[in-house]
Amino acid sequence: MKMDSSNQWHFTSKNEPRGYIQPQSLDELWFHAGTNCNLRCPFCLEGSKPGDNRIEFLTLADARRFIDEALELGVKKFSFTGGEPFVNPEFIQILDYALEFRPCLVLTNATEPLMNQIGAVLPLRDKPNSLNFRVSLDHPDPVKHDESRGRGNFKKALTTLGRLHQSGFGVSIARLILSGEDSASVDHAYTPYFESAGVPLDLTIIKFPDFHLPGSLPQVAEITETCMTRYLSGEQRDNFMCNFSKMIVRKNGQCGVYACTLVDDVENYDLGKTLHEAMEQRVLLGHHRCYSCFAGGASCSEG
Amino acid sequence: MNTLTVRKVIFKTEELFELQLERGNIQFEPGACVALFSDSTESRPYSIAAGTGEEILRFLIRRVPEGIVSNWLAQRQPGDKVTASAPFGWFRPGHAVGSRSVFIATGTGIAPFLSYLRSNPQGAPELCLYGVRRQLEAFNLEELQQIDNFYLALSQEDDNNHFHGRINGLLEQIPFADDIHYYLCGLDTMIDETSSWLENHGVAYTQIHREIFFYEDGQL
Repeated sequence: MKMDSSNQWHFTSKNEPRGYIQPQSLDELWFHAGTNCNLRCPFCLEGSKPGDNRIEFLTLADARRFIDEALELGVKKFSFTGGEPFVNPEFIQILDYALEFRPCLVLTNATEPLMNQIGAVLPLRDKPNSLNFRVSLDHPDPVKHDESRGRGNFKKALTTLGRLHQSGFGVSIARLILSGEDSASVDHAYTPYFESAGVPLDLTIIKFPDFHLPGSLPQVAEITETCMTRYLSGEQRDNFMCNFSKMIVRKNGQCGVYACTLVDDVENYDLGKTLHEAMEQRVLLGHHRCYSCFAGGASCSEG
Repeated sequence: MNTLTVRKVIFKTEELFELQLERGNIQFEPGACVALFSDSTESRPYSIAAGTGEEILRFLIRRVPEGIVSNWLAQRQPGDKVTASAPFGWFRPGHAVGSRSVFIATGTGIAPFLSYLRSNPQGAPELCLYGVRRQLEAFNLEELQQIDNFYLALSQEDDNNHFHGRINGLLEQIPFADDIHYYLCGLDTMIDETSSWLENHGVAYTQIHREIFFYEDGQL
Protein backbone atom coordinates (compact mmCIF):
# COMPACT_ATOMS: atom_id res chain seq x y z
CA MET A 1 0.00 0.00 0.00
CA LYS A 2 1.43 3.34 -1.05
CA MET A 3 -0.91 5.71 0.76
CA ASP A 4 0.91 8.84 1.79
CA SER A 5 0.31 9.40 5.48
CA SER A 6 1.59 12.97 5.41
CA ASN A 7 -0.53 15.89 6.48
CA GLN A 8 -0.42 17.14 2.93
CA TRP A 9 -2.46 14.18 1.82
CA HIS A 10 -4.83 13.85 4.77
CA PHE A 11 -5.50 17.56 5.10
CA THR A 12 -6.29 20.32 2.64
CA SER A 13 -4.06 23.34 2.10
CA LYS A 14 -6.13 25.11 4.78
CA ASN A 15 -5.39 22.26 7.19
CA GLU A 16 -8.94 20.92 7.20
CA PRO A 17 -9.50 17.15 7.15
CA ARG A 18 -9.73 16.07 3.51
CA GLY A 19 -12.97 14.50 2.33
CA TYR A 20 -12.91 10.76 1.77
CA ILE A 21 -14.89 7.71 0.77
CA GLN A 22 -14.72 4.50 2.77
CA PRO A 23 -15.44 1.81 0.15
CA GLN A 24 -18.40 -0.41 0.98
CA SER A 25 -18.47 -3.00 -1.79
CA LEU A 26 -16.88 -4.13 -5.04
CA ASP A 27 -19.78 -4.05 -7.48
CA GLU A 28 -17.74 -3.22 -10.55
CA LEU A 29 -14.13 -3.94 -11.42
CA TRP A 30 -12.51 -1.88 -14.16
CA PHE A 31 -9.46 -2.93 -16.08
CA HIS A 32 -7.17 -0.54 -17.90
CA ALA A 33 -6.17 -2.37 -21.09
CA GLY A 34 -3.21 0.01 -21.67
CA THR A 35 -2.65 3.57 -22.92
CA ASN A 36 -1.62 2.37 -26.38
CA CYS A 37 -4.21 3.67 -28.83
CA ASN A 38 -4.60 3.95 -32.57
CA LEU A 39 -5.75 7.56 -32.17
CA ARG A 40 -4.03 10.63 -30.77
CA CYS A 41 -6.84 12.80 -29.40
CA PRO A 42 -5.55 16.06 -27.91
CA PHE A 43 -8.07 16.00 -25.05
CA CYS A 44 -7.47 12.38 -24.00
CA LEU A 45 -7.71 12.17 -20.23
CA GLU A 46 -5.31 9.22 -20.34
CA GLY A 47 -2.78 10.82 -22.70
CA SER A 48 -3.11 7.76 -24.92
CA LYS A 49 -1.52 7.53 -28.37
CA PRO A 50 0.06 4.94 -30.69
CA GLY A 51 2.86 3.09 -28.94
CA ASP A 52 2.25 4.74 -25.55
CA ASN A 53 3.02 2.57 -22.54
CA ARG A 54 2.47 4.87 -19.57
CA ILE A 55 0.01 2.16 -18.63
CA GLU A 56 1.12 -1.17 -20.09
CA PHE A 57 -1.00 -3.77 -21.82
CA LEU A 58 -3.07 -5.76 -19.37
CA THR A 59 -2.13 -9.41 -19.72
CA LEU A 60 -4.49 -12.36 -19.75
CA ALA A 61 -2.69 -13.84 -16.75
CA ASP A 62 -3.16 -10.65 -14.70
CA ALA A 63 -6.77 -10.27 -15.77
CA ARG A 64 -7.59 -13.84 -14.77
CA ARG A 65 -6.04 -13.34 -11.33
CA PHE A 66 -8.07 -10.21 -10.58
CA ILE A 67 -11.27 -11.58 -12.10
CA ASP A 68 -10.99 -14.61 -9.85
CA GLU A 69 -10.34 -12.45 -6.79
CA ALA A 70 -13.18 -10.07 -7.67
CA LEU A 71 -15.60 -12.98 -7.89
CA GLU A 72 -14.68 -13.88 -4.30
CA LEU A 73 -15.65 -10.32 -3.32
CA GLY A 74 -19.03 -10.52 -5.03
CA VAL A 75 -18.32 -8.35 -8.07
CA LYS A 76 -21.33 -7.80 -10.37
CA LYS A 77 -19.69 -6.63 -13.60
CA PHE A 78 -16.39 -6.05 -15.34
CA SER A 79 -15.56 -2.98 -17.38
CA PHE A 80 -12.63 -2.21 -19.66
CA THR A 81 -11.09 1.05 -20.80
CA GLY A 82 -7.90 2.29 -22.45
CA GLY A 83 -6.31 3.57 -24.66
CA GLU A 84 -8.19 1.56 -27.18
CA PRO A 85 -8.73 -1.86 -25.59
CA PHE A 86 -8.73 -3.67 -28.95
CA VAL A 87 -5.11 -2.59 -29.53
CA ASN A 88 -4.17 -4.92 -26.67
CA PRO A 89 -3.18 -8.23 -28.33
CA GLU A 90 -4.75 -10.34 -25.57
CA PHE A 91 -7.92 -8.31 -25.19
CA ILE A 92 -10.37 -10.66 -26.87
CA GLN A 93 -9.05 -13.56 -24.80
CA ILE A 94 -9.45 -11.44 -21.67
CA LEU A 95 -13.05 -10.63 -22.62
CA ASP A 96 -13.70 -14.27 -23.39
CA TYR A 97 -12.62 -15.22 -19.86
CA ALA A 98 -14.47 -12.39 -18.08
CA LEU A 99 -17.72 -13.14 -19.93
CA GLU A 100 -17.75 -16.61 -18.44
CA PHE A 101 -18.60 -15.02 -15.10
CA ARG A 102 -20.14 -11.55 -15.34
CA PRO A 103 -21.53 -9.00 -17.82
CA CYS A 104 -18.86 -6.78 -19.38
CA LEU A 105 -18.66 -3.23 -20.68
CA VAL A 106 -15.98 -2.08 -23.14
CA LEU A 107 -15.17 1.57 -23.88
CA THR A 108 -13.98 1.83 -27.47
CA ASN A 109 -13.44 4.30 -30.28
CA ALA A 110 -14.94 1.65 -32.61
CA THR A 111 -12.44 2.30 -35.41
CA GLU A 112 -9.87 0.01 -37.06
CA PRO A 113 -8.71 -2.03 -34.04
CA LEU A 114 -12.27 -3.19 -33.37
CA MET A 115 -13.38 -3.18 -37.01
CA ASN A 116 -10.49 -5.44 -38.02
CA GLN A 117 -11.24 -7.94 -35.25
CA ILE A 118 -15.01 -7.89 -35.32
CA GLY A 119 -15.05 -11.39 -36.79
CA ALA A 120 -13.41 -12.60 -33.58
CA VAL A 121 -15.70 -10.46 -31.42
CA LEU A 122 -19.01 -11.76 -32.81
CA PRO A 123 -18.71 -15.23 -31.18
CA LEU A 124 -18.65 -13.49 -27.78
CA ARG A 125 -22.43 -13.10 -28.19
CA ASP A 126 -22.69 -16.74 -27.26
CA LYS A 127 -20.99 -16.38 -23.88
CA PRO A 128 -23.01 -16.84 -20.67
CA ASN A 129 -23.00 -13.09 -19.91
CA SER A 130 -23.81 -9.98 -21.93
CA LEU A 131 -21.25 -7.74 -23.61
CA ASN A 132 -21.93 -4.01 -23.97
CA PHE A 133 -19.93 -1.47 -25.92
CA ARG A 134 -19.72 2.23 -25.15
CA VAL A 135 -18.58 4.00 -28.30
CA SER A 136 -16.98 7.44 -28.18
CA LEU A 137 -18.89 9.91 -30.34
CA ASP A 138 -17.59 13.13 -28.87
CA HIS A 139 -19.87 15.55 -30.65
CA PRO A 140 -23.04 15.25 -32.74
CA ASP A 141 -21.28 17.17 -35.52
CA PRO A 142 -19.06 14.66 -37.41
CA VAL A 143 -16.67 17.45 -38.43
CA LYS A 144 -16.04 18.42 -34.82
CA HIS A 145 -15.64 14.78 -33.78
CA ASP A 146 -13.14 14.22 -36.58
CA GLU A 147 -11.14 17.38 -35.78
CA SER A 148 -9.71 15.53 -32.78
CA ARG A 149 -10.07 11.90 -33.77
CA GLY A 150 -9.08 12.03 -37.43
CA ARG A 151 -11.06 12.32 -40.60
CA GLY A 152 -13.70 9.71 -41.21
CA ASN A 153 -13.68 8.37 -37.68
CA PHE A 154 -17.19 9.58 -36.80
CA LYS A 155 -18.57 7.62 -39.72
CA LYS A 156 -16.54 4.52 -38.84
CA ALA A 157 -17.56 4.66 -35.19
CA LEU A 158 -21.21 5.15 -36.09
CA THR A 159 -21.15 2.29 -38.58
CA THR A 160 -19.50 -0.02 -36.06
CA LEU A 161 -22.00 1.07 -33.38
CA GLY A 162 -24.83 0.02 -35.68
CA ARG A 163 -23.19 -3.28 -36.54
CA LEU A 164 -22.61 -4.13 -32.90
CA HIS A 165 -26.25 -3.38 -32.08
CA GLN A 166 -27.52 -5.38 -35.03
CA SER A 167 -25.28 -8.27 -33.99
CA GLY A 168 -27.01 -8.41 -30.62
CA PHE A 169 -24.57 -6.53 -28.38
CA GLY A 170 -25.65 -3.77 -26.03
CA VAL A 171 -24.45 -0.32 -27.08
CA SER A 172 -24.28 3.20 -25.70
CA ILE A 173 -22.21 6.25 -26.54
CA ALA A 174 -19.96 8.62 -24.61
CA ARG A 175 -19.64 12.29 -25.42
CA LEU A 176 -17.93 15.39 -24.09
CA ILE A 177 -19.89 18.02 -22.18
CA LEU A 178 -19.63 21.29 -24.09
CA SER A 179 -19.12 24.55 -22.28
CA GLY A 180 -22.50 26.12 -21.46
CA GLU A 181 -24.38 23.44 -23.37
CA ASP A 182 -28.09 22.72 -23.39
CA SER A 183 -27.65 19.01 -22.66
CA ALA A 184 -31.03 17.90 -23.96
CA SER A 185 -30.57 19.62 -27.30
CA VAL A 186 -27.03 18.27 -27.73
CA ASP A 187 -28.31 14.78 -27.00
CA HIS A 188 -31.18 15.29 -29.43
CA ALA A 189 -28.74 16.29 -32.19
CA TYR A 190 -27.53 12.66 -32.29
CA THR A 191 -30.97 11.42 -33.30
CA PRO A 192 -30.52 11.45 -37.10
CA TYR A 193 -27.22 9.61 -36.74
CA PHE A 194 -28.73 7.00 -34.46
CA GLU A 195 -31.52 6.57 -36.99
CA SER A 196 -29.05 6.08 -39.86
CA ALA A 197 -27.06 3.56 -37.84
CA GLY A 198 -30.20 1.63 -36.92
CA VAL A 199 -29.72 1.97 -33.18
CA PRO A 200 -32.43 2.96 -30.67
CA LEU A 201 -33.13 6.70 -30.76
CA ASP A 202 -33.12 6.79 -26.96
CA LEU A 203 -29.67 5.24 -26.75
CA THR A 204 -27.89 5.87 -23.45
CA ILE A 205 -25.50 8.82 -23.73
CA ILE A 206 -22.82 9.08 -21.04
CA LYS A 207 -21.49 12.64 -20.73
CA PHE A 208 -18.05 13.57 -19.50
CA PRO A 209 -16.65 16.95 -18.47
CA ASP A 210 -13.12 18.00 -19.41
CA PHE A 211 -10.96 15.91 -17.10
CA HIS A 212 -7.70 17.55 -18.23
CA LEU A 213 -4.54 15.71 -19.30
CA PRO A 214 -2.84 13.20 -16.97
CA GLY A 215 -0.46 14.90 -14.56
CA SER A 216 -2.09 18.30 -15.01
CA LEU A 217 -3.02 20.36 -11.94
CA PRO A 218 -6.04 22.53 -12.73
CA GLN A 219 -7.23 24.78 -9.92
CA VAL A 220 -10.30 23.26 -8.31
CA ALA A 221 -11.82 23.63 -4.87
CA GLU A 222 -10.51 21.22 -2.27
CA ILE A 223 -12.98 18.74 -0.79
CA THR A 224 -13.11 18.63 2.99
CA GLU A 225 -14.86 16.20 5.32
CA THR A 226 -17.34 18.97 6.04
CA CYS A 227 -18.07 19.40 2.31
CA MET A 228 -18.93 15.70 2.08
CA THR A 229 -21.56 15.89 4.80
CA ARG A 230 -22.84 19.44 4.33
CA TYR A 231 -23.36 19.35 0.57
CA LEU A 232 -23.93 15.66 -0.17
CA SER A 233 -26.49 13.20 1.06
CA GLY A 234 -25.59 9.66 2.07
CA GLU A 235 -27.02 8.43 -1.21
CA GLN A 236 -24.84 10.85 -3.17
CA ARG A 237 -21.77 9.73 -1.29
CA ASP A 238 -22.66 6.13 -2.06
CA ASN A 239 -22.73 6.98 -5.78
CA PHE A 240 -19.05 7.91 -5.88
CA MET A 241 -17.35 5.28 -8.05
CA CYS A 242 -14.63 4.76 -5.47
CA ASN A 243 -17.34 3.51 -3.13
CA PHE A 244 -18.22 0.51 -5.24
CA SER A 245 -15.50 0.00 -7.85
CA LYS A 246 -11.78 -0.30 -8.38
CA MET A 247 -9.50 -0.30 -11.42
CA ILE A 248 -6.61 -2.58 -12.29
CA VAL A 249 -3.64 -0.76 -13.83
CA ARG A 250 -0.41 -2.34 -15.06
CA LYS A 251 2.73 -0.22 -14.72
CA ASN A 252 6.37 -1.23 -14.69
CA GLY A 253 5.55 -4.87 -15.17
CA GLN A 254 3.08 -5.29 -12.31
CA CYS A 255 -0.55 -4.55 -11.58
CA GLY A 256 -1.89 -2.20 -8.93
CA VAL A 257 -5.44 -1.68 -7.72
CA TYR A 258 -6.43 1.96 -8.18
CA ALA A 259 -9.25 3.82 -6.52
CA CYS A 260 -11.11 4.61 -9.73
CA THR A 261 -10.79 4.98 -13.47
CA LEU A 262 -9.68 8.61 -13.41
CA VAL A 263 -6.81 8.80 -10.94
CA ASP A 264 -4.20 6.44 -12.38
CA ASP A 265 -1.70 9.29 -12.81
CA VAL A 266 -1.21 9.71 -9.04
CA GLU A 267 0.56 6.94 -7.14
CA ASN A 268 -1.33 7.76 -3.94
CA TYR A 269 -4.33 6.09 -5.51
CA ASP A 270 -2.53 2.79 -5.98
CA LEU A 271 -4.24 1.06 -3.07
CA GLY A 272 -2.39 -2.24 -3.13
CA LYS A 273 -1.58 -5.38 -5.05
CA THR A 274 -4.78 -7.25 -4.25
CA LEU A 275 -8.43 -6.28 -4.23
CA HIS A 276 -8.82 -7.48 -0.66
CA GLU A 277 -6.06 -5.11 0.43
CA ALA A 278 -7.41 -2.21 -1.64
CA MET A 279 -10.95 -2.55 -0.33
CA GLU A 280 -9.71 -1.77 3.17
CA GLN A 281 -8.26 1.58 2.10
CA ARG A 282 -10.03 4.89 2.65
CA VAL A 283 -9.99 6.92 -0.60
CA LEU A 284 -8.99 10.52 0.05
CA LEU A 285 -10.55 12.93 -2.44
CA GLY A 286 -7.43 14.89 -3.30
CA HIS A 287 -7.28 14.52 -7.08
CA HIS A 288 -8.60 17.35 -9.23
CA ARG A 289 -10.84 14.78 -10.94
CA CYS A 290 -12.39 13.94 -7.55
CA TYR A 291 -13.92 17.39 -7.72
CA SER A 292 -15.73 16.41 -10.94
CA CYS A 293 -17.41 13.59 -9.03
CA PHE A 294 -18.14 15.87 -6.08
CA ALA A 295 -19.53 18.78 -8.10
CA GLY A 296 -21.20 17.03 -10.99
CA GLY A 297 -21.67 13.43 -10.00
CA ALA A 298 -19.46 12.27 -12.89
CA SER A 299 -19.29 8.52 -13.21
CA CYS A 300 -17.78 6.13 -15.72
CA SER A 301 -20.17 3.47 -14.50
CA GLU A 302 -23.30 2.58 -16.43
CA GLY A 303 -26.40 1.17 -14.80
CA MET B 1 11.10 1.46 -24.88
CA ASN B 2 13.93 0.25 -27.10
CA THR B 3 16.99 2.15 -28.27
CA LEU B 4 17.89 0.93 -31.75
CA THR B 5 20.88 1.74 -33.95
CA VAL B 6 20.44 3.06 -37.48
CA ARG B 7 21.87 0.65 -40.07
CA LYS B 8 21.01 2.58 -43.25
CA VAL B 9 18.76 5.28 -44.67
CA ILE B 10 18.03 4.58 -48.34
CA PHE B 11 16.20 7.26 -50.32
CA LYS B 12 14.00 6.27 -53.26
CA THR B 13 13.01 9.86 -53.93
CA GLU B 14 13.46 13.07 -51.96
CA GLU B 15 10.20 12.25 -50.24
CA LEU B 16 10.39 8.48 -49.77
CA PHE B 17 12.99 6.43 -47.93
CA GLU B 18 13.61 3.11 -46.25
CA LEU B 19 14.93 3.32 -42.71
CA GLN B 20 16.83 0.26 -41.53
CA LEU B 21 17.39 -0.24 -37.81
CA GLU B 22 19.25 -2.91 -35.90
CA ARG B 23 16.59 -5.22 -34.56
CA GLY B 24 17.74 -5.61 -30.98
CA ASN B 25 15.49 -8.03 -29.11
CA ILE B 26 12.31 -7.00 -30.87
CA GLN B 27 9.90 -9.78 -31.80
CA PHE B 28 6.94 -8.99 -34.02
CA GLU B 29 4.22 -10.36 -36.27
CA PRO B 30 3.77 -9.18 -39.87
CA GLY B 31 1.57 -6.11 -39.83
CA ALA B 32 2.95 -4.82 -36.54
CA CYS B 33 3.75 -1.14 -36.02
CA VAL B 34 6.43 0.46 -33.94
CA ALA B 35 6.21 4.03 -32.66
CA LEU B 36 9.47 5.79 -33.56
CA PHE B 37 10.45 8.87 -31.56
CA SER B 38 12.26 12.03 -32.63
CA ASP B 39 14.64 13.79 -30.27
CA SER B 40 11.74 16.05 -29.26
CA THR B 41 9.96 12.92 -27.94
CA GLU B 42 7.26 13.23 -30.57
CA SER B 43 6.39 9.82 -31.95
CA ARG B 44 4.61 8.35 -34.94
CA PRO B 45 3.69 4.74 -35.67
CA TYR B 46 5.36 3.06 -38.64
CA SER B 47 4.61 -0.39 -39.96
CA ILE B 48 7.49 -2.87 -40.09
CA ALA B 49 8.36 -3.93 -43.66
CA ALA B 50 10.97 -6.52 -42.68
CA GLY B 51 10.34 -10.23 -42.47
CA THR B 52 10.19 -11.82 -39.05
CA GLY B 53 13.39 -13.75 -39.82
CA GLU B 54 15.49 -10.72 -40.80
CA GLU B 55 18.24 -9.28 -38.62
CA ILE B 56 17.07 -5.73 -39.15
CA LEU B 57 13.85 -3.76 -38.97
CA ARG B 58 12.82 -1.95 -42.15
CA PHE B 59 10.41 0.99 -42.31
CA LEU B 60 9.08 2.65 -45.46
CA ILE B 61 8.64 6.31 -44.68
CA ARG B 62 7.22 9.29 -46.52
CA ARG B 63 8.54 12.67 -45.43
CA VAL B 64 5.56 14.72 -44.44
CA PRO B 65 5.94 18.48 -44.98
CA GLU B 66 6.69 19.91 -41.53
CA GLY B 67 6.45 16.38 -40.11
CA ILE B 68 8.58 16.42 -36.97
CA VAL B 69 9.28 12.71 -36.83
CA SER B 70 9.56 11.80 -40.52
CA ASN B 71 11.99 14.64 -41.22
CA TRP B 72 14.07 13.85 -38.15
CA LEU B 73 14.29 10.20 -39.19
CA ALA B 74 15.24 11.19 -42.74
CA GLN B 75 18.29 12.98 -41.34
CA ARG B 76 19.64 10.00 -39.39
CA GLN B 77 23.05 8.56 -40.18
CA PRO B 78 24.34 4.99 -39.71
CA GLY B 79 25.19 4.50 -36.04
CA ASP B 80 22.65 7.06 -34.76
CA LYS B 81 20.22 5.92 -32.08
CA VAL B 82 16.44 5.89 -32.45
CA THR B 83 13.96 5.27 -29.64
CA ALA B 84 11.24 2.77 -30.54
CA SER B 85 8.21 1.40 -28.73
CA ALA B 86 7.45 -2.27 -28.47
CA PRO B 87 5.64 -3.61 -31.56
CA PHE B 88 1.87 -3.39 -31.53
CA GLY B 89 -0.93 -3.40 -34.04
CA TRP B 90 -4.37 -4.33 -35.16
CA PHE B 91 -3.66 -5.16 -38.82
CA ARG B 92 -2.52 -8.70 -39.50
CA PRO B 93 -2.26 -9.61 -43.20
CA GLY B 94 -2.94 -13.25 -43.82
CA HIS B 95 -3.76 -13.82 -40.17
CA ALA B 96 -7.21 -15.37 -40.59
CA VAL B 97 -6.73 -19.10 -40.09
CA GLY B 98 -7.49 -21.29 -43.10
CA SER B 99 -8.27 -18.35 -45.34
CA ARG B 100 -6.90 -16.88 -48.54
CA SER B 101 -5.90 -13.25 -48.90
CA VAL B 102 -6.14 -10.28 -51.23
CA PHE B 103 -3.74 -7.42 -50.55
CA ILE B 104 -4.44 -3.86 -51.71
CA ALA B 105 -1.97 -1.07 -50.92
CA THR B 106 -1.08 2.46 -51.85
CA GLY B 107 2.29 4.14 -51.28
CA THR B 108 4.12 3.12 -48.13
CA GLY B 109 1.04 1.05 -47.25
CA ILE B 110 2.80 -1.84 -48.96
CA ALA B 111 5.02 -2.23 -45.84
CA PRO B 112 2.87 -4.71 -43.86
CA PHE B 113 2.39 -6.83 -46.98
CA LEU B 114 6.13 -6.93 -47.64
CA SER B 115 6.58 -8.02 -44.03
CA TYR B 116 4.04 -10.79 -44.52
CA LEU B 117 5.55 -11.96 -47.83
CA ARG B 118 9.08 -11.93 -46.42
CA SER B 119 7.93 -13.85 -43.36
CA ASN B 120 5.79 -16.37 -45.30
CA PRO B 121 7.45 -17.07 -48.65
CA GLN B 122 4.90 -19.82 -49.34
CA GLY B 123 1.91 -17.69 -48.40
CA ALA B 124 1.37 -15.70 -51.57
CA PRO B 125 -1.95 -13.86 -51.77
CA GLU B 126 -4.57 -14.57 -54.42
CA LEU B 127 -4.04 -11.05 -55.69
CA CYS B 128 -1.94 -8.00 -54.81
CA LEU B 129 -2.84 -4.53 -56.08
CA TYR B 130 -0.34 -1.70 -55.48
CA GLY B 131 -0.97 1.93 -56.33
CA VAL B 132 1.61 4.73 -56.50
CA ARG B 133 1.88 7.97 -58.45
CA ARG B 134 4.99 7.03 -60.45
CA GLN B 135 6.95 3.80 -60.82
CA LEU B 136 9.93 5.39 -59.11
CA GLU B 137 7.85 5.53 -55.94
CA ALA B 138 7.06 1.81 -55.90
CA PHE B 139 8.98 0.01 -53.14
CA ASN B 140 10.50 -3.43 -53.85
CA LEU B 141 8.82 -3.83 -57.22
CA GLU B 142 10.93 -6.79 -58.38
CA GLU B 143 10.10 -8.65 -55.19
CA LEU B 144 6.39 -7.93 -55.54
CA GLN B 145 6.37 -9.01 -59.18
CA GLN B 146 7.16 -12.54 -58.00
CA ILE B 147 3.51 -12.75 -56.93
CA ASP B 148 1.46 -14.42 -59.68
CA ASN B 149 -1.37 -11.93 -59.62
CA PHE B 150 0.37 -8.64 -58.96
CA TYR B 151 -0.79 -5.40 -60.54
CA LEU B 152 0.80 -1.97 -60.25
CA ALA B 153 -1.31 1.13 -60.80
CA LEU B 154 0.48 4.36 -61.69
CA SER B 155 -1.83 7.32 -61.23
CA GLN B 156 0.47 10.00 -62.68
CA GLU B 157 2.55 8.09 -65.23
CA ASP B 158 1.79 6.05 -68.32
CA ASP B 159 4.62 3.60 -69.12
CA ASN B 160 2.68 0.98 -71.15
CA ASN B 161 3.80 -1.78 -68.76
CA HIS B 162 1.45 -1.04 -65.90
CA PHE B 163 -2.09 0.10 -65.37
CA HIS B 164 -2.41 3.86 -65.79
CA GLY B 165 -4.86 5.34 -63.31
CA ARG B 166 -5.94 5.11 -59.70
CA ILE B 167 -5.87 1.71 -58.07
CA ASN B 168 -9.68 1.69 -58.01
CA GLY B 169 -9.50 1.00 -61.72
CA LEU B 170 -8.12 -2.46 -60.92
CA LEU B 171 -10.85 -3.56 -58.54
CA GLU B 172 -12.49 -5.71 -61.21
CA GLN B 173 -9.48 -8.05 -60.86
CA ILE B 174 -10.54 -8.96 -57.32
CA PRO B 175 -11.69 -12.55 -56.80
CA PHE B 176 -14.60 -13.35 -54.51
CA ALA B 177 -14.96 -16.39 -52.28
CA ASP B 178 -16.20 -17.05 -48.78
CA ASP B 179 -12.71 -17.93 -47.56
CA ILE B 180 -10.97 -14.81 -48.87
CA HIS B 181 -10.05 -11.97 -46.51
CA TYR B 182 -9.28 -8.55 -47.96
CA TYR B 183 -6.49 -6.42 -46.50
CA LEU B 184 -6.36 -2.73 -47.38
CA CYS B 185 -3.53 -0.40 -46.37
CA GLY B 186 -2.54 3.12 -47.30
CA LEU B 187 -4.56 6.19 -48.25
CA ASP B 188 -7.89 6.73 -46.48
CA THR B 189 -9.89 7.45 -49.63
CA MET B 190 -8.65 4.26 -51.30
CA ILE B 191 -9.57 2.26 -48.21
CA ASP B 192 -13.01 3.82 -47.85
CA GLU B 193 -13.86 3.43 -51.52
CA THR B 194 -12.52 -0.10 -51.74
CA SER B 195 -14.28 -1.17 -48.53
CA SER B 196 -17.58 0.14 -49.88
CA TRP B 197 -16.96 -1.51 -53.25
CA LEU B 198 -16.24 -4.86 -51.60
CA GLU B 199 -19.34 -4.69 -49.39
CA ASN B 200 -21.44 -3.71 -52.38
CA HIS B 201 -20.14 -6.87 -54.06
CA GLY B 202 -21.28 -9.01 -51.16
CA VAL B 203 -18.09 -9.30 -49.11
CA ALA B 204 -18.84 -9.59 -45.38
CA TYR B 205 -17.48 -6.69 -43.33
CA THR B 206 -15.84 -9.24 -41.05
CA GLN B 207 -13.54 -10.15 -43.93
CA ILE B 208 -12.35 -6.62 -44.69
CA HIS B 209 -9.31 -5.41 -42.74
CA ARG B 210 -8.05 -1.86 -42.87
CA GLU B 211 -5.02 0.21 -41.94
CA ILE B 212 -4.91 3.93 -42.78
CA PHE B 213 -1.45 5.45 -43.24
CA PHE B 214 -2.31 8.76 -44.87
CA TYR B 215 -5.29 11.01 -45.38
CA GLU B 216 -6.04 12.56 -48.73
CA ASP B 217 -5.99 16.04 -47.17
CA GLY B 218 -2.55 15.52 -45.61
CA GLN B 219 -3.59 14.66 -42.04
CA LEU B 220 -1.36 12.25 -40.06
